[in-house]
Amino acid sequence: MSDRWVERLSEYLDGELPVAERAALEAHLESCSDCRAILAGLRRVAARAHSMELQAPRHDLWPGIARRIGATPARDTPAGRRWSFSLPELAAAAVVLMTLSGGAVWINRSNISAPAIAPVATGSGLPTPTPAIHANRSAAQSYAAAVADLEQVLAGGRGQLDSTTVRVIEQNLAVIDRAIAQAQRALNADPANLYLNTHLAETMRRKLDLLRQAATLVPVS
Amino acid sequence: MTEPGLGAAILEHEQTGRPDSDAIDATLAASGDASAFERLYRHHVPRIYSLVRRMLDDDDADEVTQDVFVRAWQKLGTFRGEAAFGTWLHRLAVNVILARREMLGTRRKRYIEGDAVLEVLPTRRPGPELTMDFESAMERLPDGAREIFVLHDVEGYRHEEIAQMLGLATGTSKSQLHRARLALRRHLER
Repeated sequence: MSDRWVERLSEYLDGELPVAERAALEAHLESCSDCRAILAGLRRVAARAHSMELQAPRHDLWPGIARRIGATPARDTPAGRRWSFSLPELAAAAVVLMTLSGGAVWINRSNISAPAIAPVATGSGLPTPTPAIHANRSAAQSYAAAVADLEQVLAGGRGQLDSTTVRVIEQNLAVIDRAIAQAQRALNADPANLYLNTHLAETMRRKLDLLRQAATLVPVS
Repeated sequence: MTEPGLGAAILEHEQTGRPDSDAIDATLAASGDASAFERLYRHHVPRIYSLVRRMLDDDDADEVTQDVFVRAWQKLGTFRGEAAFGTWLHRLAVNVILARREMLGTRRKRYIEGDAVLEVLPTRRPGPELTMDFESAMERLPDGAREIFVLHDVEGYRHEEIAQMLGLATGTSKSQLHRARLALRRHLER
């Protein structure tokens, strides 16, 4: 056994030895059973570490976190940070949803690999890959277009869905649309209200979620 | 034909596709939505708690895990989505843990050189709970070797990243990792 080589075994194991030293160490390993045994042991340690299971806390830590961030009993904003959101800002959040949700539906339904750039909705049916110029499109327009696209997919496929399913989806959409309208009316009167802002964002998100999942129920023709 | 009533279930928050859901929830949480932040907490707490517990004493794990999420809530405005939320949160957790170590004054003499690292582990305890046995062996490593072993072999950070995070030379990170592995190897083979 050579101490010189023992000291390099972890680097060898991690693929971090220069080529020449690697070759020299491998030649040494051919003739040194002690180093081979140590290397095998190091490999077992690393493998054990890689496969360690996650541990959950023994009790729920969320109540303490919620208390510290001021989130209980009602939702609140991070300490020291309080602002309101305009509809365009809320719609900007929805753009994230649109690119993820609408894009996922498009990819799923088109049965093709994802494009290198994120898709956004267009008015021509399913979303198409986005040229850079579309990045400047207004967030509110993008949200509306994503909703319109998904509604179009759903409308085109409703004849292929069970009538009860269609009824439930339409009832849920109606409930969400009423909630969005109510939140928008309330925000017109109180634009800085944080609860109304977050409620509207959440409701818009739920509408996209519902439409996206409903669209996946439509069999691909 | 789709089963009747399936539509009723799709109003529920989707649990699949977590990276996408994380991006959405991070956006909502940054706007002050605590319920979105709670979803992020539920999804990521096992990994964060495990990291904390492996790098600090068990007694501190709950409190420091809470510190990590409170800090994340305060810093959500700096999350730009350039990396996955989980990656961002994990790095933030490492910083909180290192700050905790600093506060506790445990950085002194942490980087034990030479074979001294190999002498700190007791004889392996008998019993079938090998996973827990390995965990307790890790906990008995000197702090410096322990945190480098956890960051490299458990969490997958590269030596260059570890050296940057800990303010060490890359060579120190490599040598401490090697010492930790040798110690754990001896422990396992006793």
